[in-house]
Amino acid sequence: MASHVECRPLGVFECELCTLTAPYSYVGQKPPNTQSMVLLEESYVMKDPFTSDKDRFLVLGSCCSLCSRLVCVGPECSLFYSKRFCLPCVRENINAFPQEIRQDLEKRKAPSKRTPSQPGSRT
Amino acid sequence: MPPPRTREGRDRRDHHRAPSEEEALEKWDWNCPETRRLLEDAFFREEDYIRQGSEECQKFWTFFERLQRFQNLKTSRKEEKDPGQPKHSIPALADLPRTYDPRYRINLSVLGPATRGSQGLGRHLPAERVAEFRRALLHYLDFGQKQAFGRLAKLQRERAALPIAQYGNRILQTLKEHQVVVVAGDTGCGKSTQVPQYLLAAGFSHVACTQPRRIACISLAKRVGFESLSQYGSQVGYQIRFESTRSAATKIVFLTVGLLLRQIQREPSLPQYEVLIVDEVHERHLHNDFLLGVLQRLLPTRPDLKVILMSATINISLFSSYFSNAPVVQVPGRLFPITVVYQPQEAEPTTSKSEKLDPRPFLRVLESIDHKYPPEERGDLLVFLSGMAEISAVLEAAQTYASHTQRWVVLPLHSALSVADQDKVFDVAPPGVRKCILSTNIAETSVTIDGIRFVVDSGKVKEMSYDPQAKLQRLQEFWISQASAEQRKGRAGRTGPGVCFRLYAESDYDAFAPYPVPEIRRVALDSLVLQMKSMSVGDPRTFPFIEPPPPASLETAILYLRDQGALDSSEALTPIGSLLAQLPVDVVIGKMLILGSMFSLVEPVLTIAAALSVQSPFTRSAQSSPECAAARRPLESDQGDPFTLFNVFNAWVQVKSERSRNSRKWCRRRGIEEHRLYEMANLRRQFKELLEDHGLLAGAQAAQVGDSYSRLQQRRERRALHQLKRQHEEGAGRRRKVLRLQEEQDGGSSDEDRAGPAPPGASDGVDIQDVKFKLRHDLAQLQAAASSAQDLSREQLALLKLVLGRGLYPQLAVPDAFNSSRKDSDQIFHTQAKQGAVLHPTCVFAGSPEVLHAQELEASNCDGSRDDKDKMSSKHQLLSFVSLLETNKPYLVNCVRIPALQSLLLFSRSLDTNGDCSRLVADGWLELQLADSESAIRLLAASLRLRARWESALDRQLAHQAQQQLEEEEEDTPVSPKEVATLSKELLQFTASKIPYSLRRLTGLEVQNMYVGPQTIPATPHLPGLFGSSTLSPHPTKGGYAVTDFLTYNCLTNDTDLYSDCLRTFWTCPHCGLHAPLTPLERIAHENTCPQAPQDGPPGAEEAALETLQKTSVLQRPYHCEACGKDFLFTPTEVLRHRKQHV
Repeated sequence: MASHVECRPLGVFECELCTLTAPYSYVGQKPPNTQSMVLLEESYVMKDPFTSDKDRFLVLGSCCSLCSRLVCVGPECSLFYSKRFCLPCVRENINAFPQEIRQDLEKRKAPSKRTPSQPGSRT
Repeated sequence: MPPPRTREGRDRRDHHRAPSEEEALEKWDWNCPETRRLLEDAFFREEDYIRQGSEECQKFWTFFERLQRFQNLKTSRKEEKDPGQPKHSIPALADLPRTYDPRYRINLSVLGPATRGSQGLGRHLPAERVAEFRRALLHYLDFGQKQAFGRLAKLQRERAALPIAQYGNRILQTLKEHQVVVVAGDTGCGKSTQVPQYLLAAGFSHVACTQPRRIACISLAKRVGFESLSQYGSQVGYQIRFESTRSAATKIVFLTVGLLLRQIQREPSLPQYEVLIVDEVHERHLHNDFLLGVLQRLLPTRPDLKVILMSATINISLFSSYFSNAPVVQVPGRLFPITVVYQPQEAEPTTSKSEKLDPRPFLRVLESIDHKYPPEERGDLLVFLSGMAEISAVLEAAQTYASHTQRWVVLPLHSALSVADQDKVFDVAPPGVRKCILSTNIAETSVTIDGIRFVVDSGKVKEMSYDPQAKLQRLQEFWISQASAEQRKGRAGRTGPGVCFRLYAESDYDAFAPYPVPEIRRVALDSLVLQMKSMSVGDPRTFPFIEPPPPASLETAILYLRDQGALDSSEALTPIGSLLAQLPVDVVIGKMLILGSMFSLVEPVLTIAAALSVQSPFTRSAQSSPECAAARRPLESDQGDPFTLFNVFNAWVQVKSERSRNSRKWCRRRGIEEHRLYEMANLRRQFKELLEDHGLLAGAQAAQVGDSYSRLQQRRERRALHQLKRQHEEGAGRRRKVLRLQEEQDGGSSDEDRAGPAPPGASDGVDIQDVKFKLRHDLAQLQAAASSAQDLSREQLALLKLVLGRGLYPQLAVPDAFNSSRKDSDQIFHTQAKQGAVLHPTCVFAGSPEVLHAQELEASNCDGSRDDKDKMSSKHQLLSFVSLLETNKPYLVNCVRIPALQSLLLFSRSLDTNGDCSRLVADGWLELQLADSESAIRLLAASLRLRARWESALDRQLAHQAQQQLEEEEEDTPVSPKEVATLSKELLQFTASKIPYSLRRLTGLEVQNMYVGPQTIPATPHLPGLFGSSTLSPHPTKGGYAVTDFLTYNCLTNDTDLYSDCLRTFWTCPHCGLHAPLTPLERIAHENTCPQAPQDGPPGAEEAALETLQKTSVLQRPYHCEACGKDFLFTPTEVLRHRKQHV
């Protein structure tokens, strides 16, 4: 397996809501090795661990525009609507958001289907 | 969302727009290649996130088409506009866009073409189309981000849900305070994947994790790499026999126990590691037990080295107390409640008729599951049986039941299955159908299958044990241990509540042994002792094993290694033993490699040695398939199984060299498991590298410098292969297919049809094994070796058989006297230690045993024609075999036929004669009667010369290797090609000699009364010139004279001629023409030292004696033996032989 030069992690990102953790290698709006894309928020970024392409990145999260909490981009923790907002802040200020956002939040309250367990492999 | 066009049209004041322009806008074709090219030129350039022509580009267009269809649906719906929101007082919320648009949900932006100075786009494409494309691109990129993040989150949730997650900190804290920690948890608690990650997160960067099996190293390294988000980095790697992904950046390496032991052999203090995880210690594998002993000694000298032992929760105190009461962190399992049902069997009278396993108790379980549980409830059945024969018996009956009820898919699982068939047990059954997996104990711990709800435990297991007395490996059925029974039961509770049916009584369970018998107590210990010697750990008898092996097994192993020449009389490694210790194969196969390296036979010997070291490539199902047998017939060799395997491998390499041919299909048609051939190729390469490293093989010739075009093409091909391999690794791995009811069990036409049409997905059709093979091996070189192998001459073949025979010696079997009148399947053979062995069904001789019979060329000798016992023939043969394996019968496995007389004269460790050498006894159990005494003497003299020269050349080869290791200087080859050619030629002439003789196995009573005893000692003849280098001395136990360390003259009874050794007859030497009255012994001595230059003419007696002395003095050195206090003139070989006499 060809090993690429890995970005040295700057630190460990940790979501303050769900405690998801991952090492990040960049904070900002212009991920390294990317020419044509910019981020619209100051994001914590790591190299995409699920592909060998060294240019691919994965956005982990950023700060909520209202409370400044560090939150991940997971649908249960935050949403982006021209800015990053953590879900508690969105719920708290739901009237400031368009109808579509409110409908989206209603959907998220429904319990997610439990995925059937996949067959295992050798220990 | 763009407003409807009709409304837009109505708003425009210009009513005179050309109709064609309006039509073009409405009928925009996104599939137009020109349009796509323009967009790709603008947005998918080389430095962009998505590149033109890449797979990602294709994925985007697929996404784009789906998005278009989705948006078209959405457009048709009427959407209510929300009333405007009042301005919010919080600054962060004040500037939120009031009108919703999905693009505000995306935190990415793509720089437009205008920003990058793209020209011409505006002139060719409408601006609104470009904007639409950009929005779709943003959605695609956002979708990719969400998908990847979802995988990350799921991964972390799963890790946190494992039982061991709560114990991570405790393990690290305990390790901080203690040098050794035992982590005990049953399968599924997550210890094998999580403990390495806890160490990684805690900052450890030099961690080794051992596994008993290679496949576990690979799968765990991949899983841990994936979970620690360094799947495409190099933090986590593995190292096994033929593969390594470790690099300087690797922090955690998964490696086999054997490989770690080799690393300890090179650097005993293991300076490269700071933490050692020894996994699966409860399985009590031979090398794992040895490793624990090595660590027990190593740890006091390495206080900084930490060790974590990982075990299932059985007999934990054994490991803890062995390491000075190391602390135990016990992790609870994650099992659901399991109901145990005991169903002892009572139908003994019916089953006693045949040896076949009665499948009815198992069928009753299937029936009761069908009755009690509705089909819509999921849950598969796992049946534990002791072996392949039992699985076949139940499989046949269960498949009949399954075809009747349509509610089961029955699958076998054992290690002899092909890899593809083994993988089927992980597939999913159709709705309303359950899997019934019939397995050996491989499913107890090695393989984890999710979805098992029911377990049937037969209570039996088949294990290999070693009988030191008979030198026999025996596959025997035993009751399982209580620990195994609990392991089997646990399989039913991994994913939900389950039921375990035990087909024995609870009282039987109470009588089971608590734990399985450790491997060290039931297998042969040759390779272990050899490894211990090479690691200089001292006397194996006093080594601190966690549980010592049986003393008899150790003694047998030590004796065996001495017999094989690997240990000397003081039990130190000989040069050949040192080399054997570094070859990862059986001792006899290692000897073959060393012997083969001396002749020009190294390529064929490498192939055959590799073939004999892996599992048989012939699939079990092929044995009953006439098509496979017919397809394989041209590859069979009547010389023996190793040559058949040799032919198979070479033909396979040829198939691989032809681009258009599909080697996978080729193998399937012939009933060959291709995976084994890949293993052979890997092993072959390893052997070759080892021989080169030790100077026994000339260094690989510099790669032929082809023209620049072919070099460029090779580089391009390798890059393409690497890309295919990377794609395969990035893929999700094997997708779980839905099993089909009544799936074809046989190969044949349905397999051909299945393999014929290429699957629609091109990447799915890639044979990843083929890709790896071509990356790892120089196919052209292999093909050249295979081509030259097909041209083996008769002489080379005979020489190759000699190398094999000597390597495999003393594993010999003699045909029973009555075989020629028996049916093909009833051939019987006898070994020295075991009577009544038979040919294995896969043996090539099982199909044509007539090649083993001594053909009757001399019809005149018809007396006693009922048996072969007294037949005089020059074509008697012996079988040289690789192993003796008993299942229901003792089987000879992997046999080669060799000429009996010549082989015994060349190989025997003990050779006894009567007075005129017409009667020979080899190794005390095989008797040969030769019709012609004079021919016998000549042949015996020739064998003495040949053995001495062969031994001398081999010693120099090994001495050269030892010296080269020290000095690391390039020296001339120690054995000249001319000498090798001469030796080869004479060995072949010797083998081709035709002398009538009879062959039979001596009975025990005959052996007892075979020797004359030491009391008869006639006077030594005084003709020093005729004896040359031979020194005579009375044999202390047999009587007669010890001529060499293996030859004793005139020690056999039944010779009524008491004066034979004094009987002189006139004899003319065919070489030098000496004409003199000599006794038989004197003639042997003369033949052994005769100057063989016919051009010199017949010299005088004095001159001949002088020349003889001069010739021998080149090799001889003064030697004083301290044991017997005598002085000799000996060659180095003779020194060793003389020392051996005093053992």
